[in-house]
Amino acid sequence: MTSGNIMPINNELKMPVFHIDDQPVEFHPGEKILSAALRNGEKIPHYCYHPGMSIVATCRMCVVDIVDLGNGRPAPKLQTACSVDAAEGMKIETMNQKVEEGRKLVNEFLLINHPLDCPICDQSGECTLQDYSFEYGSGKSEMDYSKRVYGWRDIGTFVSLERNRCIQCSRCDRFTREITGTNEFGMFNRGHELTVDTYTDRPMTNKFQGNMADICPVGAITEKEFRFKRRVWKLKKIRSICTGCSTGCNITIEHDRNEVFRLKPHENQNVNKWWMCDEGRLTYRIMNERKTRINRPLGRVSQNLQHISWEDAYRAIAERISEMEPTGNEVIALTDTHASNEELFLLKKLLKDGFLSDNVFCPLPKWEQIESEFFINTLITTDKTPNRAGALALKIKGDAENAEVKKIIDGEPKVVIILGNPFETEHEIQQKIKPAQLVVHIGSYHNCWSEIADVVLPGQFYSEKKVTFTNKLQQVQSTDIAVQSLRRSRPEWQIIVELAHALGHKFNFSNVNQVFAAMAEETKAFSGLSFDQIGDQGMKLKQTFKDTGMKLVQAPA
Amino acid sequence: MAEETLVLFKNIRNPKYSKSLEGYKKAGGYQTLKKVFGMKPNEVVQTVKDSGVRGRGGAGFPTGLKWSFMPNGTGKPSYLIANADESEPGTCKDRELMLKDPHLFLEGMLIGCYAVGCHHGYIYIRGEFFPAIKSLNTAVEELYADGLLGPDPLGSGFHLDLTIHSGAGAYICGEESALLDSLEGKRGQPRVKPPFPAISGFNGCPTSVNNVETLACMPFILGDGGVEAFKSFGPENNSGTHLVSLSGHVNKPGVYELRMDVNMKDIIYGIGGGIRNGKKLKGVIPGGSSSSVMTADEVDVLYNFDELANIDTMLGSAAMMVFDEDTDVVQLLHRITRFYAHESCGQCTPCREGTHWSRNILRDFLNGNGSDEKLRRLDRVGGNMLGTTLCALGDAAALPIQSFVKKFPDDFRKYYANK
Repeated sequence: MTSGNIMPINNELKMPVFHIDDQPVEFHPGEKILSAALRNGEKIPHYCYHPGMSIVATCRMCVVDIVDLGNGRPAPKLQTACSVDAAEGMKIETMNQKVEEGRKLVNEFLLINHPLDCPICDQSGECTLQDYSFEYGSGKSEMDYSKRVYGWRDIGTFVSLERNRCIQCSRCDRFTREITGTNEFGMFNRGHELTVDTYTDRPMTNKFQGNMADICPVGAITEKEFRFKRRVWKLKKIRSICTGCSTGCNITIEHDRNEVFRLKPHENQNVNKWWMCDEGRLTYRIMNERKTRINRPLGRVSQNLQHISWEDAYRAIAERISEMEPTGNEVIALTDTHASNEELFLLKKLLKDGFLSDNVFCPLPKWEQIESEFFINTLITTDKTPNRAGALALKIKGDAENAEVKKIIDGEPKVVIILGNPFETEHEIQQKIKPAQLVVHIGSYHNCWSEIADVVLPGQFYSEKKVTFTNKLQQVQSTDIAVQSLRRSRPEWQIIVELAHALGHKFNFSNVNQVFAAMAEETKAFSGLSFDQIGDQGMKLKQTFKDTGMKLVQAPA
Repeated sequence: MAEETLVLFKNIRNPKYSKSLEGYKKAGGYQTLKKVFGMKPNEVVQTVKDSGVRGRGGAGFPTGLKWSFMPNGTGKPSYLIANADESEPGTCKDRELMLKDPHLFLEGMLIGCYAVGCHHGYIYIRGEFFPAIKSLNTAVEELYADGLLGPDPLGSGFHLDLTIHSGAGAYICGEESALLDSLEGKRGQPRVKPPFPAISGFNGCPTSVNNVETLACMPFILGDGGVEAFKSFGPENNSGTHLVSLSGHVNKPGVYELRMDVNMKDIIYGIGGGIRNGKKLKGVIPGGSSSSVMTADEVDVLYNFDELANIDTMLGSAAMMVFDEDTDVVQLLHRITRFYAHESCGQCTPCREGTHWSRNILRDFLNGNGSDEKLRRLDRVGGNMLGTTLCALGDAAALPIQSFVKKFPDDFRKYYANK
């Protein structure tokens, strides 16, 4: 796990420096050696230390030899790097024999009771005990007694516990105390029988259990959802963001052979720190969904949807529109806020340039943001779409009661373009759209709109394309291509561009960067941003605004 | 011939003494407190510093220095906590004080509270000390009834409350930061230091944790005895009398109050009345079970902090355990190691695994499965706990193992030589 910039960096102040193995390391005053070292890319092995939680200094793996405390004197014995404050002029050795022995003895002790069941352990491949044993361990054991054995227990709805593998780092214990505040997990017994368990023998119910599997350095706590599905070394990891709600947690999509197996949080101090919710983790299932996917363009021929080619689809749309010659008011587009910034921008541009219309609507229901003294609770919102803020920034029309869109529909539009799955519960809107002469649906999955559409164009899910979303903090973040989409599908932004071409408009965009650049140029909200700058950590909109649909609520006790 | 020097045991050794508040006052009690209320707190701390009194709980840290670390003006309350958890095997001196002369200790506690500016002191007492808890409860009730505790003791205006909190019987809760965790209602586990309790202790406030006997010295130091008299009881840097818990194979075991310049031989053969049944001395554990063992040849030293540190052992809590030539040291070490394996809190890797592993190896010896290899391994496992843990329990478990193996190797070999 990498460490992030917990404290703001003021570049104008010169930061104090200490040396690890003669390499200078900058640190913030008051920072611990290990934290500064990890931030600077130095490698010091550790189990119990986690940058987001309190320091207990109990695994004793991060021992270092402080040969100069900064005052010319050495520390009397090996010190744990996680608990000692860094000081100007400190000289630290991490590779001398003393330190190696120190690590070796800790690893030997840890393996006394740890089962050597790596071949059947799900953590194998991403287990720090395994890695460190290989790197720093002695390779042989003098332990010839039977190991401590515990029975299996059901500890939660999302994770399972194998207590024999536990190395008592207490990260999980600290997690429920300091991060979620639910206090349902703790350490029991003492001495060599020390173990972890839930209080009152009840499985946990908190919404963030998956994080406990992430922070567990060994295979003691693993995700039920992922267990035994794939060896982790087969998984390829792609940085992306979770689109399960408007928080936009940074994640890695982990996939093998074009199948997504799990989502893991990726550190971003401005958005989700190190965490994500279990609901978000489960959105990986949608990525593998094939049954309801729209896998090729469809056109309505005598009441039935039939397979057609992309060319035929565009040609049919262009012909119908040129026959009808609709006025601006007779064309509307409906979109949901699952669409990316680029798609919303292009959709708006298509209607403006193509039909002199700005009838682009999206549902903007009121939503609740939890306020809590525990940061992690604020990750969950009731807005389960990833790009409401993007829609607001791009001034897509809409209101909480959908009054505006209902008014427009009463004018009996001739051409309706649907992006995604908007207004899925509004039967009134659906019924009124049905008689329209041309309904075009662009989307990845079959839904109520594909049933009534005249032309259906297959889009791509966010794990299959590179686009940007604006989260509730108005931070613009990008996804990346993790898995290959179905052969005949295309990203929605490309479909809109091609549609514009078919209608005789020159949209000169051959990749998403160009769309973003145009968006930055033509809209106020995105001015000053560029696709390349967004990078790993995302960028905040230069001009933020207030979302009046948000209501702050207290976390339920 | 060594004799007792009566300072702390002045009242206890008096057969006519009654331990009630009335009796203690009759013996001159709470006069020092009155005098102390006339002094400034920093003067009190300075006097204690001058006296050179070192903590009697085991570590021997200068008490005055500890108190002087307590910051002023932090806006947080300060706390003084009496460590009455007396859990080091072999030690039974604090119990004696609390049981037979609670007011001496309480007066010291009150003085300490005034010195560090604590308005609510806590006495963390070991849960198994039922009679001592009862005795202290009675004494504290007497103090409240008399007005010595409460809003205005002796007209000083220094509001002071005392709470007696009994632990649940864990050895580790005698370690000061684990004691604080336990007092706060958490699992008793040592904390990471720094921050030391003087900066962030009980509930994150400045806290001083002091041993019962240390506090009981205060009425003498600040009262009629004075700094110079206190210093005169021992050599430089080892001032005062101390309570020695003498146990084991001596004819007269018990708690004795001794100067710091008494030879260990005199303690064993003089005060202790020699080895029982006329046997020969084999060794001594000088300062509670966690100190390195001494052989019979080594006991010709002064029994104080510095002299024992010079020969690589320690005074600790001054619990001297004597064993004779018939003693099976392997069984003795097994018993000690079993204790530490049971009492390790388990948070640090080396102590959690090491104490249990070494206990298993020792059990092998007792079962006749010892070997040279296992003896070497025992020494190595012990050494791997030494200085590698968060608190001193790892050291406490390691020191006996290493010293027993080093000093009595033949006893271990006997277990497997004839096979």
